[in-house]
Parts: sequence; C-alpha cells; structure tokens
Amino acid sequence: MHIPDGFIPLWQTGIYYIITIIALYFALNWAKENLDEKRVPLMAVLAAFIFAIQAMNIPIPWGTSGHMLGAALVAIVFGSPWAAVLVLAVVLTVQGFFFGDGGITALGANILDMGVIAGFTGFGVFKALQKLNLWVAIFLAGWASIFVASLAVAIELALAGTFPYDLGLIFMGLYHAIIGIAEGAITVVAILAIQRVRPDLLHWNKTKSDSEVDK
Amino acid sequence: MKAKDKKFVIGGLIIAIIIAILAPFLASSDPDGLESAAEKILLIEETEPMFEAPLPDYLVPALGESPLGGAISIVIGTIIAFLAMVGLATTARWFKSNSDDS
Repeated sequence: MHIPDGFIPLWQTGIYYIITIIALYFALNWAKENLDEKRVPLMAVLAAFIFAIQAMNIPIPWGTSGHMLGAALVAIVFGSPWAAVLVLAVVLTVQGFFFGDGGITALGANILDMGVIAGFTGFGVFKALQKLNLWVAIFLAGWASIFVASLAVAIELALAGTFPYDLGLIFMGLYHAIIGIAEGAITVVAILAIQRVRPDLLHWNKTKSDSEVDK
Repeated sequence: MKAKDKKFVIGGLIIAIIIAILAPFLASSDPDGLESAAEKILLIEETEPMFEAPLPDYLVPALGESPLGGAISIVIGTIIAFLAMVGLATTARWFKSNSDDS
C-alpha cells in the first residue's frame, strides 16, 4: 500500500511529513532510553526481514496481491509501537530512495500509515487481548494493523480527491482484510521462531531473562 | 557483541536473504491492494515519480525484467535496510551515552 508520488497534493504531503517527523522524534527518544547492546542487532535483523518479506507479494482473489507490513511484529517484539515507527521508517525510506517503491513526496504519509498507525493499532490490539490468549492476540494484532492502515490510506486519498470515500474504503478495506490474514499468520510464526531460539529477546520475557542471563 | 547475539544476527540475516532471493520467483506480480484499487477507482491522472530510483521496481536496469535482477536488487535492499537500521539505532544510543556523560 505504498502511496506513489502524485496521489496526494504537495501541501497535504507536507502535513503528513510534519506528523511523521514528530513521531520520529518520540521514536528516537524511545530508542535512546530502551535499546541496549543486544536489541540493536535484533532491530536491524527485523528491518532486514521486513524489507525482504515486503517484496514477497502473496496473491489474493480479484487479481490482486499484497504483502505484510511488519509493524505489529516489531511493536510486539519490542513492547513498544515506537520501535515499529523506527523500523518501518528505515524500511520505507530505503524502498523509496533506492527502489522507487512509494513516492518520495508521499514518504511521510507512508511512514505515518505503515509505521505509526499500523504500529499503534497492532500494539493496542495485542495489549487489549494479550491476557485472553497470547497467540490469538498476536494474530489479531497483525490483522488489525494492516486493515486499519489501509483505511487510513483510503481516507488520506479521499481527502486528496484521488479516491472516492466509499469505494476507497471498501476496496482498500476488503483487500487488506484478506492480506491481514497473512500478516497475522507471519507475525505469529516470526514471534514463535524468536520465542524458540531467543526467548530473552521478547519484551514480555525481559525482566525474567535479564535477571537470569544478563546480570 | 555476545556470541549468541552474533549467531542470532547471522541466522536472521540468512533467513532474510533467502526470502529476498526467492521473492522475485515466488511473489505474485499482480498489482497490490492500493494499485488494484487505483486501477478501478482513481479520480485523477497518474503521474511520473518525482525522482528516478537507482533500482526502480526492484529490478537491475541492466538485467531487464529477469527474476535474477529482482533477486539481486532485493538482496541489496535487505542489506541496506540492515545497515541503515544499525546506523540509526547506534546513533540513538550514542546520544544516550553522551547525555549520561554530561
């Protein structure tokens, strides 16, 4: 759902840039306080994984395809949506500048949708449902993150006069409700894999493992 | 870096690079959700990108539309994303250690 150049008028892209820069300020502050020696490599591996998996478009019906975003994954692993903002900002900037995926003028909007909105939605759903069932919460966090982000894109493009409101919300929502199943499933698999090889890297194991392993 | 962190990074990067190599062979080339919606309901004229990327559409221009070019460019992107994230995260931590010193 990378918005290309020309879909949003420049003055509106400026507003999205400003919101994104404010979010990045908070995300960098979070990183400053919370990243330790072993979480920098974890974050970098997740950035590499998300870059690669975003190139893996999965077919869905109606001659359409989609890929996961990864924001919910990062937010859950790090226990903070700010981590997702940072990782997606890096991935989307590399995609925009090196591969022409997502317009440079739309980069602020793309980070806002796929980093900030997807990250906070995924993290919120995870937190709300975590106590009911951990893995169901992770799956639904992944699903909701991309679904809500796609609705945000539809609203931005409607404000831009590029999509009609109703059809934009219907098509974007419908496509991404289906892509969300893949997002949820891959999020679960990735966290299961980390839980298996390095449970101490998962935020919800942090206090326990830090006393055992690090100190 | 501790040995087990190094192992995690190497293992994680290998998985990412395997996905990157396979992506152009396995991925669907159908338009994605936004492109597909745009094909149906776009109210405006599409325009050219503001800026010409060095590897547009995850292809190496010299290799044309071959999946090999796709694999090469996605592997390059995966490594750039990894290094950029190390750079940004390390910079953020560097500010922390500086403010601790003062």
